[in-house]
Amino acid sequence: MPSPIEAKVPDIGNYHDVPVIELLVKPGDLVKKDQGLVTLESDKATMEVPSPVAGVVRELRVKLDDKVSEGAIVALIESSVGATESRVQAIEPAKPAQEAKAVPATDAANPSAAPDRAGDASLERRVDAGAATHRPTAPPVRFSANAVMPERVPYATPAVRLFARELGVDLAQVAGSGKGGRVLREDVQAFVRQAFAAGGARGAGSGGAGLGLLPWPEIDFSKFGPVQTQPLSKIKRASGSNLARNWAMIPHVTQHDVADITEMEAFRKQLGTEQKDLKITPLVFLIKAAVAALQRFPIFNASLDAKGETLTLKQYFHIGIAVDTPEGLVVPVIRDCDRKGILELARELALVSAKARDRKLTPAEMSGGCFSISSLGGIGGTAFTPIINAPEVAILGVSKSSMQPVWSGTAFEPRLMLPLSLSYDHRVIDGAAAARFVAYMALVLADLRRLML
Amino acid sequence: MDLTEAKVPDIGNYHDVPVIELLVKPGDLVKKDQGLVTLESDKATMEVPSPVAGMVRELKVQLNDKVSEGTLVALIEPADGAVSVKHEHVSVAPETAGAGPAAMVTSQAARDGDRHADIECALLVLGAGPGGYTAAFRGADLGLDVVLVERYPSLGGVCLNVGCIPSKALLHTAEVIDAAAAMAAHGLTFGPPTLDLDRLRAFKTGVVAKLTGGLAGMARQRKVRVLHGAGLFVSPHELDVATDAGVKRVRFEKAIVAAGSRALKLPGFPWGDPRVMDSTDALSLTEIPPTLLVVGGGIIGLEMATVYASLGSRVTVVELADQLVPGCDADLVRPLQLRLSKRLEGIHLRTKVAHAEAGKDGIHVKFEGASAPSRNVYDRVLVAVGRTPNGNAIGAAAAGMIVDGRGYIPVDAQMRSNVPHIFAIGDIVGNPMLAHKATHEGKLAAEVAAGHKREWLARVIPAVAYTDPEIAWVGVSEREAKEQGLATESAKFPWAASGRALGMDRGEGFTKLIFDTATRRIVGGGIVGPHAGDLIAEVALAIEMGAEAADIGHTIHPHPTLGETVAMAAELFEGSITDLIAPKRQ
Repeated sequence: MPSPIEAKVPDIGNYHDVPVIELLVKPGDLVKKDQGLVTLESDKATMEVPSPVAGVVRELRVKLDDKVSEGAIVALIESSVGATESRVQAIEPAKPAQEAKAVPATDAANPSAAPDRAGDASLERRVDAGAATHRPTAPPVRFSANAVMPERVPYATPAVRLFARELGVDLAQVAGSGKGGRVLREDVQAFVRQAFAAGGARGAGSGGAGLGLLPWPEIDFSKFGPVQTQPLSKIKRASGSNLARNWAMIPHVTQHDVADITEMEAFRKQLGTEQKDLKITPLVFLIKAAVAALQRFPIFNASLDAKGETLTLKQYFHIGIAVDTPEGLVVPVIRDCDRKGILELARELALVSAKARDRKLTPAEMSGGCFSISSLGGIGGTAFTPIINAPEVAILGVSKSSMQPVWSGTAFEPRLMLPLSLSYDHRVIDGAAAARFVAYMALVLADLRRLML
Repeated sequence: MDLTEAKVPDIGNYHDVPVIELLVKPGDLVKKDQGLVTLESDKATMEVPSPVAGMVRELKVQLNDKVSEGTLVALIEPADGAVSVKHEHVSVAPETAGAGPAAMVTSQAARDGDRHADIECALLVLGAGPGGYTAAFRGADLGLDVVLVERYPSLGGVCLNVGCIPSKALLHTAEVIDAAAAMAAHGLTFGPPTLDLDRLRAFKTGVVAKLTGGLAGMARQRKVRVLHGAGLFVSPHELDVATDAGVKRVRFEKAIVAAGSRALKLPGFPWGDPRVMDSTDALSLTEIPPTLLVVGGGIIGLEMATVYASLGSRVTVVELADQLVPGCDADLVRPLQLRLSKRLEGIHLRTKVAHAEAGKDGIHVKFEGASAPSRNVYDRVLVAVGRTPNGNAIGAAAAGMIVDGRGYIPVDAQMRSNVPHIFAIGDIVGNPMLAHKATHEGKLAAEVAAGHKREWLARVIPAVAYTDPEIAWVGVSEREAKEQGLATESAKFPWAASGRALGMDRGEGFTKLIFDTATRRIVGGGIVGPHAGDLIAEVALAIEMGAEAADIGHTIHPHPTLGETVAMAAELFEGSITDLIAPKRQ
């Protein structure tokens, strides 16, 4: 029998200690090459660790919530290369069981939330798939010191444990305010409030502090008419948590302006005729203009530390581009935009956009941004408030350009005007700087020759 | 047609007994002797039976009415043969089985032929032991339609019928005999006891009947339908019950398996001989044998050894391990062993039975091991070497349920088996096989089945040997702390310093608490001495609450009690004790 092959965490960019949020296989499962073994979640996105070979999962080396980094061994796979045809085919029947696992009802950790009928519906498959599904671990009741020793269990009384379980709170994550760190009922409540404030059940760490908000209204909408529930995609849940934190913690102000892009569009169209196989979008010009503005106003190319005391000024120019995908919003980052020309940027932009839509972006490709651009110009609108992508300090929102009469000093002339909306972190940037930043961008966009200055 | 009066029968010397439950209503069909209303005296509950089969025309009493012998309870219109009387307990078999809600399981059911379910329910509970009836009652209280299946005629399982309850009734008797005898040393001499075994047995049976009868009444009040007969799963949503009235098929949405365990029948013994007993046989108290061999020095063996020794048998205990109550801290066992060794004919550790066969004059036994008893023929032999789960006796495979090699059903923290809508609780899911573990699990499973967000949260399960002296322990033991290298410290308060214990002439006991050194929080405890089982509850509470030694020591305990010893042990750890010379602390 060939020795098992190690499945390791691939290059995931500069992320370390990324938590394992889902185990997709278990020992004994047949897997195909590149089939996901476990799901990791960075603060930006989720990704699966693929199996390096087709074969049988020998051993999983990680548990839920383990933190992993590049190179960590996730599982041992016994390669089935050379296996008989029938064995390879056996991979297929394994698939329904996999899907059955995704039915919420089978989620042992949270079964009560699941409609029972769904569980029953999947029962046939479950039984047919044999003992492969939901194999409970040893009885929980066997007493061991692990259940008692203070350093191994949360410091909480049975009533508080019960309360936390009802709310789905992991007591290990709750900081106790009682004597000696005892977790009180109030601590659990505060934790839940904070989690709601963070926009999801995840809770954004303890740095957010309780905002003292009301609990989220729980309404039985079916009282009012027919309804249907649909879980948010993982990307939406991940980005939702970030958006909620950023919106709650950063004092946002949005500065609106318009740029005259009549000449820019003429130039872009001309370029388009020259470059048949390359789509040059207005966005690449916006990237160049943003870089020019960042170079002129370095405070926009900065990050504030967690305490809100120290600013880190960056000497590189990586621009994040918000891309809408069917699963939700992702923000790939284009590196060193100051050193790239319009054509190179256009090429790269096309590449990352395609990757984003195919869900092929790695966390590395979504990290390191200095400043983000969110363009709804292809859709419509005259202005909107983009939410800053922390720890960046500003983000540019772009709406739809339109032909408008502009007074030239002697007459109204038809000019193509592009609305720009700059949200900025008011702790770092004051209003005058923001107004100058956008005005400068407009100036550059109006006359691209200024990029050379 | 003449109406027949149903009156309160002779209920002894009771008068003005309250009606606590109306079992029928006007229009109901009743059988002869079927209960009409339930009365409750301060001793027991009883039903007023219908004098005839027929239809209830009128109830003459209301809830909480006070009645006495002869009070008119109801008017019954006798059935003159034309009316077919339906038995209350046979539940309605819906004609629509196979359609509606049952449709979801039709494909599975089809495998078992086109048989329709006789009974449908939301929650099926298999087994009416302490775990099972708790699950059924809790489920019913949470609004589920529950069917409870029990293989034996009475509810309550091993615990109530042939376990905890009857053994405690007998142990109490043993205790009184021993206590009376011990008084001689204090100048109070009683004559030797005369034993009327029939009356003792009747008392024990009465205790059991009172409790199991109470369960049946509570099941009725909760509208839990009880089916008597062995149950076998035939599909993930169906169970066949072999009732006296034939096989009934129950179709359920969810199920809780509480089918318990049975005494391990060690091979090599002539089990066909009535003189070879398991714990159930021993509790039936057929006779007091002149000599009794107890194989197994665990809790059950020692409890029964205590009973039979007090009732007059010469008892020999053999145990394979190197101490009685294997697994328990050795210091806790020592006072028990000391006392038992004076009362029993012999205690033989590291010894096993190599051969046993039935002879005319008794059971002939050959021993192997460190200290073979000299006696080789015993009038009776009790084999109490443990219990084995019933996981292989319930048709688990037909439901798709995993049962491990030893007969246990693996479950998760919500007591779900691998088939998520089937739960398992109690002895059948693993050790320790204790009623109080089973009831806790039963409640949990019922709550999860009813959609509550619950899981197993208890950290410790206390264990008690109801021997004399009692031994009780909970949480981390010194043995475990040592084996795992845990940073703990123990404080042991000897009962020789407890006035209350000395007044009982039981200074041999002690109370030991085990603390986490760093946090000073209690993580375990062990107590030996009379009522240790009652005292351990405080220790369990303290562990669950995360109490520090000072929390216990600064809780004022009443004096003079045995309960004080728990606080004294905590003070000993704190170094603040005054009833002893506290050891020097670093």
